[in-house]
Amino acid sequence: MNTTGMDTLRHQSGSRKPPEDADRWTAAARLVEAAQSGDALALNDLLNLLTPYVTRLCRPIALTHGPDAVQESLIAVFQGLPRLKDPTALYGWVRVITVREAVRVARRAQRETPVSEFDDVAGWQGTELAADVHDVLRRMSSEHRAVLVLRELEGLDERSASEVLNISCGTVKSRLHRARNSFRKAWTR
Amino acid sequence: MTTDWPTADLDPVLRLRVMAAGLNSVMYADEYIDAPLADVWSMASDLEGELPHLVPTLSAFHVPPGPEERKQVWAYSLFRHRARFEVLLQPGWCLMQSKYVVGGMAAVAEGSGTRFAVLGGLRQTRLTSLLTPLRPLGRSRGLRMIARARRRTALRRTAPHAET
Repeated sequence: MNTTGMDTLRHQSGSRKPPEDADRWTAAARLVEAAQSGDALALNDLLNLLTPYVTRLCRPIALTHGPDAVQESLIAVFQGLPRLKDPTALYGWVRVITVREAVRVARRAQRETPVSEFDDVAGWQGTELAADVHDVLRRMSSEHRAVLVLRELEGLDERSASEVLNISCGTVKSRLHRARNSFRKAWTR
Repeated sequence: MTTDWPTADLDPVLRLRVMAAGLNSVMYADEYIDAPLADVWSMASDLEGELPHLVPTLSAFHVPPGPEERKQVWAYSLFRHRARFEVLLQPGWCLMQSKYVVGGMAAVAEGSGTRFAVLGGLRQTRLTSLLTPLRPLGRSRGLRMIARARRRTALRRTAPHAET
């Protein structure tokens, strides 16, 4: 398989590791406890911490609707925060909510936006390769992009990805196969 | 973060909307003010001079001098009750909280004007859920506060040292 496109996708969204170092995620657990008790300044710090990570997940799934997906994901995360029993589980919990919200926003956008409007969107001002990656992503469904993000960017195995997306392992495998196939075809054209 | 992907950073008003969801705020509203961001935020960030004009139950808000973003501030009600507030003040962004209440303001440029947002609520999450039915009233309270901000901005533009 030609992996150029996948490598570019990984490079542009960062590594498979969390975007912040482990210490910051440990600190986040303390912020969660303070925020759950109504501390607005702790909630503000938590927002600063989570926004880059949520943005990183939303961009490749929701594409040009990334800002909407980021906002709606963060609202869903913050509304659900009082129900998060284990603050050390924040990272995985945010990932589940964000990926599902990003897919929902992207699906809604696909229903509402004519394809030609996507073609006119400015904002892909990077390399030609980046534009090619974007083009391949744009042609996929949001569900396929979500599988790709979880497997290729987050490094989840198929079982974990299926749990995040609430679908079977078999569906993850077939979506992943089709998503990778799209990249392979694009790079051998 | 690379520059090749479209950016999806939240502006201060969107951030305040997210904060309102997280705090289950009783009051949240945002609206357009026909004045440049610099003028609106110059007014809003003058907490000692302007906050008593924006919040009618407040008689004074004593902010210690200094460039720090985070400060401890004493607020006085019309009935001379005193409460200590922690304040975070940054460009386009202000959060304030005492032991019992939370407040916030945010502003972002929108065309030639400014989108201005306000937030208010209680810190006690148990009480907050009891006040949920009052949220529709909270929006109109928020809009009234924004209307006061609009008037104060206009007044300062015409009379830069206006105090009333």
